[in-house]
Amino acid sequence: MISLGSYLAISFFLFVCGIMVMIARKNIIAIFLGIELVLNASALNFAAYTKFVNHNLDGHIMSIFIIVTAAAEAAVGLGIVIRFFQLRESIHIDDAATLQN
Amino acid sequence: MFSDTLFLLSSALTLGGAFAVLYSKNLMHSCLYLLGSLFGVAGLYACIGADFLAATQLVVYAGGVVILMLFAIMLTGGASNKINKFGLKKIPGMGNFSTYMIAGVSAFVASLVVLKIIADVLKSQGPTNLVANEPTVFKLGVLLVTDHILAFEISSVLLLGALIGAAIISRPRREIHD
Repeated sequence: MISLGSYLAISFFLFVCGIMVMIARKNIIAIFLGIELVLNASALNFAAYTKFVNHNLDGHIMSIFIIVTAAAEAAVGLGIVIRFFQLRESIHIDDAATLQN
Repeated sequence: MFSDTLFLLSSALTLGGAFAVLYSKNLMHSCLYLLGSLFGVAGLYACIGADFLAATQLVVYAGGVVILMLFAIMLTGGASNKINKFGLKKIPGMGNFSTYMIAGVSAFVASLVVLKIIADVLKSQGPTNLVANEPTVFKLGVLLVTDHILAFEISSVLLLGALIGAAIISRPRREIHD
């Protein structure tokens, strides 16, 4: 039951859910939730390949760096969101279109 | 037996959480479902013997990122106008039917591409030579400060820059009068 195929299927489902959340939502924080799902899917893939294919620990190192980068990205992104809310009183993604015109 | 039960529970939690994040109409509930999904991913890490990764996932995501997101949701939640600057009605923040249709089409295309890539692995369910799980913390620590020392140091600089950047960006600007 615990096999490489099942882990790849789980992370595939996580990836597709993350893509759909990123596209379907119009709220900036909801888009961040989708980004977290996609990053988790990739980190899960690295750990699964470490366990089932090559038995060294480089995949775990890669997953740790993915988690660190996701934490840094979330901190900066939420800072930008809060600043944007102070300026525009909204976190709708269509309000962040100043560069369009 | 225990490992199989843990795997089933964690995968159900992960998949159900991800699906609920997709279909919840409330942003706060959606963030809490994401927390459940991240707990499930930590359980999946524990199933394949990645003990340090499971602990890191719990500490960083459940303790850090989701709490940060809940704070951001509570700080920015509030009355927002439903009309954009052209006087048209905005798409609601959690999406409507047409955005879900667009998301479905693009997820279909993305899933075709990814399935094409992983089809060989999914078909060949050969007997894999499973090695027994052993503690990884010692080996990971040695690897982080020998082979991957450059990436380790760069990530520390990245975290410092992210902290300073977040503090500077979200700081209220004071206007300088004359």
